[in-house]
Amino acid sequence: MAQPHRKAVLNLYKTLLYLGRDWPQGFDLFRKRLHKVFSKNSEETDPQKIQIMVKHGEFVVKEIEALYKLKKYRAMKRRYYDDN
Amino acid sequence: MAAANIFRSAFGGLLRRSTTYRTSVTCRLSTVALQQKFSTIKAAVKIYKSQALQNGNEKHGIRKYSGGPPLTLDLIKSRVLLVLQLYDKINPEQLTVDSHFMNDLGLDSLDHVEVIMAMEDEFGFEIPDGDAERLVRPKDIVQYIADKEDIYE
Repeated sequence: MAQPHRKAVLNLYKTLLYLGRDWPQGFDLFRKRLHKVFSKNSEETDPQKIQIMVKHGEFVVKEIEALYKLKKYRAMKRRYYDDN
Repeated sequence: MAAANIFRSAFGGLLRRSTTYRTSVTCRLSTVALQQKFSTIKAAVKIYKSQALQNGNEKHGIRKYSGGPPLTLDLIKSRVLLVLQLYDKINPEQLTVDSHFMNDLGLDSLDHVEVIMAMEDEFGFEIPDGDAERLVRPKDIVQYIADKEDIYE
């Protein structure tokens, strides 16, 4: 059973799990959803489609990082300018 | 802590006296003081020793703030099993040291990644992906950690 993208997919899963620790609604919710999303596509065998999905996953990683940065920025802003 | 206080109180008077008087009289004074204090010091040392004996592993009275208790194979095993029992997708009753994560416990490869991550958290070092794939039983994890931490028994 050749699974050329196995390593990439598992790596992506791990990265997303690490990011999910600081998820605002809690890590458990994030973990369950992430597992659901990954297992939904677990039957996929076409390497090209898998590659597209992994690319999408990497995009999501960047989005989550941006979200955290925005959250931090907003918290800082609220502390400095409480009136607005 | 208590032992240090006893020492300080035992030596306290002695030190103060020897610094204030600097003539030849002080010599005699301090020796007298030493003789007076001698019984106190002896008692303090006795208390200190008995405390160290009670604590067992504090042989020299040095507390190591950074290191925990030394790891043994049994300790690693119990910690690994505890982590696995706390993981919500594993049934604690089915769990043994020899059970296979995928075949016996019914985990998929994603859950296996989570288990490995939990182990990384528990033991505080990173497990590379290549090694993680081979750790399919709790026994393997225990052996791997023992190898990494240089524990042979």
